[in-house]
Amino acid sequence: MDLGRILAVSKRVFIDLKNDKRSLALIIIAPLFSMAVFGLAFSGEVENIGVIIVNHDTGMDIPIVGDVDFADQVIDNIDHDTLDIQESDDLVTAIESLEAGDAWAVIYFSENYTANTMASIIPFTNASSEIELYIDMSNVNLAEAIIIEVNSALMATMEENGGSLPVTVERTEVYGQNAEFMDFFVPGIVSFAVYLFTTLLTLMAFIGERVSGTLSRVLATPLRESEIVSGYALTFSIVGTLQSIFMIVVGILAFDVMIEGNILLVFMVVALLAIVCQALGILLSSFAQREAQAAQFLPLIVMPAFLLSGVFWPLEAIPAWLRPASFLVPPSYSITAARSVMIRGWGLDMIWMDMVALVIFAMVLLTLAVISLKKKG
Amino acid sequence: MLAVKTDKLTKNYGDFKALDELELQVIKGEIYGLLGPNGAGKTTAIKVLVGLLKKTSGTAQVLDIEIPNKQIASDIGFMPQETAMYIGLTVHQNMEFFGKLFGMTKEQIAIKEAELLKFVDLEDWKDELVQNLSGGMKHRVSLACTLIHEPDILFLDEPTVGVDPKLRANFWKYFNKLKENGTTVIITTHYMDEARNCDRVGFMRQGKLIAEGIPNEIMKDTGTDNLEDAFLHYATIGEASDGPTPDGGGE
Ligand SMILES: Nc1ncnc2c1ncn2[C@@H]1O[C@H](COP(=O)(O)OP(=O)(O)O)[C@@H](O)[C@H]1O
Ligand SMILES: [Mg+2]
Repeated sequence: MDLGRILAVSKRVFIDLKNDKRSLALIIIAPLFSMAVFGLAFSGEVENIGVIIVNHDTGMDIPIVGDVDFADQVIDNIDHDTLDIQESDDLVTAIESLEAGDAWAVIYFSENYTANTMASIIPFTNASSEIELYIDMSNVNLAEAIIIEVNSALMATMEENGGSLPVTVERTEVYGQNAEFMDFFVPGIVSFAVYLFTTLLTLMAFIGERVSGTLSRVLATPLRESEIVSGYALTFSIVGTLQSIFMIVVGILAFDVMIEGNILLVFMVVALLAIVCQALGILLSSFAQREAQAAQFLPLIVMPAFLLSGVFWPLEAIPAWLRPASFLVPPSYSITAARSVMIRGWGLDMIWMDMVALVIFAMVLLTLAVISLKKKG
Repeated sequence: MLAVKTDKLTKNYGDFKALDELELQVIKGEIYGLLGPNGAGKTTAIKVLVGLLKKTSGTAQVLDIEIPNKQIASDIGFMPQETAMYIGLTVHQNMEFFGKLFGMTKEQIAIKEAELLKFVDLEDWKDELVQNLSGGMKHRVSLACTLIHEPDILFLDEPTVGVDPKLRANFWKYFNKLKENGTTVIITTHYMDEARNCDRVGFMRQGKLIAEGIPNEIMKDTGTDNLEDAFLHYATIGEASDGPTPDGGGE
């Protein structure tokens, strides 16, 4: 292999990208757009979930202490940003509204709520108190948020009254103190964007080279197949790194994403991923005859990574039998590694396995790419 | 003495014989025209000789080296039939890229580039993206890129397609100049009229050479005044006798 020729290819690919406004848009605007959409839409918690509270609790007049009304206390403890509360007197109408889709839940306190609660605090009684929750489970996320909110309001109320639950959960945040959705999302989308655009751009570039005849033309010069692949790899690892720097800077400025570890590690992982992806793009191009066929590869490139890389949801959220397939999706490794570095602050000693996986992917795919270029008619 | 020598060179696409035991000999320093209708196998022959296609059987030497062999790549210049330029690059960037593939320095490239751009009359378009050029202009850039490293042997596949007559005349002048410097030039064309400019021509049909010779002698021998008719003459004989007439002088 000749370094001069590798650099010549690398520079040529660079110029091609720079001169092509479509590629530039793909590299820069699309990831920004996705970050903006997700950043604004999922800027953390869900808010303003409409619920109706029907409070029939009559409270209790206790000597010395005075009037006690637990239902009111619970309601006060509900976060009014999370739940958008409407009050109603009639349980039947409230439930009708719920059924009509005007609210996500009805929270009902019966007349004896305070009385029952008091009774249940007294030892050796079997009394219990209940908050009745009528809930629309058609949106699981919202329903869960409502249940969590009601539970925590209840617990807060108990604590205020000196009665605590027999068992409590003491939480110490090991990693990711105050982590929000974007802290999880940015390291993922960076890898995902680099994966998508590197694979797609090399695929298109190589179908172009095959169709226009430039590929066979340069192969009639001293240039070797391995030098072409190396030149592409060099350019795309640099472009991928620049793309990730750009996205992470935007992530910091716009969403204040956390960077606990050494960010250079993230760039290294992303550069490795870019090398894997450009080899994948070259390999795929050998299965395409015409430029239009690039579009047919799009689902093949996007779907596995979308579903299995863990970019949008954790791998634990996909069925257990499908999880091993994520090992075949290269961005999974860089997403896991980037998250660990950025949120957990892990170093090379902890993420080296992901890097080794990417190196193995790179070696296999680069070899296959070179072989696919050597195949002659 | 011979720049190209093939022996029973055969290339099959499945059952189809694109080259059928081709016997081709090109003398060092000559301009050799490979003529024939579309589908005759001219492009296939060139692609096998420059190492882009695997031969099915037979042997071939280019510059005395048995092919395929990457070693000869630096000595050959190949201009494909399709334009095959990087359209997202400027004319200059294309030429610089090809120069670098042959290990040329920036200075060497600059000198050669200036000379070639003058020859193909594209000096004013040096910094234009190739995608903005007309078909004929792209073809000229392509030729310039082929010539940048001063190859010893040139394989030009239909270099004059879409080039206007005046510039075409220029092309031939330049090819003759290269020849004077010792370059061997192999040109395919299906324009029979311009093939008169070649030192020798070979007629290809169905993957075989059906006749070969010096243009004037071929016309004399066949009693025709152009190569088109001469080709038809050989093609008809070939069909009648169902065999090749490898030597045009034998008629
Ligand atoms: N990749 C291929 N697969 C099958 N047939 C091919 C292929 N390339 C060329 N051919 C056939 O081989 C024959 C010779 O083609 P070619 O060498 O391009 O002819 P020419 O350059 O003389 O016009 C043609 O009949 C063509 O259809
Ligand atoms: Mg042809």
